[in-house]
Amino acid sequence: MRISINAEIKEFDKEFLTIQELLEIINYGEGIAIALNETFILKTKYQETTIKDGDRLDILSPVQGG
Amino acid sequence: MEIDWIFSLQYKEDRVEKWKIEGKEFDSRLMIGSALYPSPEIMEKSIINSGSQIVTLALRRQSATNLKDGNQFWDIIKNLNVTVLPNTAGCHTAKEAITTALMAREIFEVDWVKLEVIGNQYNLQPDPFALIEATKILIDEGFRVLPYMTDDLVLAQRLADLGCTTLMPWGSPIGTGRGLMNPYNLRTIREQFPNLNLIVDAGIGKPSDAIEAMELGFDGVLLNSAVALAQEPILMAEAFKHAIYAGRLSFEAGAMQTRDMASPSTPTVGTPFWHQFS
Repeated sequence: MRISINAEIKEFDKEFLTIQELLEIINYGEGIAIALNETFILKTKYQETTIKDGDRLDILSPVQGG
Repeated sequence: MEIDWIFSLQYKEDRVEKWKIEGKEFDSRLMIGSALYPSPEIMEKSIINSGSQIVTLALRRQSATNLKDGNQFWDIIKNLNVTVLPNTAGCHTAKEAITTALMAREIFEVDWVKLEVIGNQYNLQPDPFALIEATKILIDEGFRVLPYMTDDLVLAQRLADLGCTTLMPWGSPIGTGRGLMNPYNLRTIREQFPNLNLIVDAGIGKPSDAIEAMELGFDGVLLNSAVALAQEPILMAEAFKHAIYAGRLSFEAGAMQTRDMASPSTPTVGTPFWHQFS
């Protein structure tokens, strides 16, 4: 499947992945929050939320702000 | 004389009360941003020197490579032991702002948010309609919403009606450093909402601008560029710390009335060289 992560297209040799599985593959750390197709996903739902081909993922982390 | 001096010191000390905002207490009435500093070290020292206990920050996409190496910025902020106030900067719709606020709540584990929904790209003016829409939903979601808004009295009323207990009207557009464009509007909002926490957010350029805001009776000031873009940010941070403190004391002390006719401050009785014969 091809998905967009932070506006970059990534390919995976699986048809579906949970968010938890994806985070383990791409090795993202702590201090992040995720939106799937512009909808916020609670951390507690990572194991049961499935990502499929064409999905758009936003993974945000703290940055400087005013 | 000595007793008077001691009394004066005691009196002053009693006046320095903690600032209560959204269920929290702080000594400083300065909220400071964490962006635009020349380096992370200067940011850290500036925040410390400002005396601010509330630091604003944002959320953005970062590449996977960056995150594997840790988040240096976030580590510095955590070590400062300050309260963070996440913003929704860069959002142009209520939906974007709501999603960003929900994500910020999960990361920072705070229930307040500086709600920012931009309506115009030239002056980054907040969109009042989207602000109302997002505020309503976020309050229903259990947020304490601190809306970044224009200095519009009716908008202030609508936001207060929705349940906001803090309002953050602009002094002037973000990053312009033009100070308070419309003191009349700000004063009017202050007078109409004596029980809300009011913070001038954006547009502050100099410590004198912050003093003006505090002397209008505003409860606090939120600024970023004025410190980060100063020639010496660390020094300027300290200048703002004193300015905001002085402005608050000035407001509490109550300034004298201005008048047109001069009035000598030195006693006229016993003026030398004056004689009935002259």
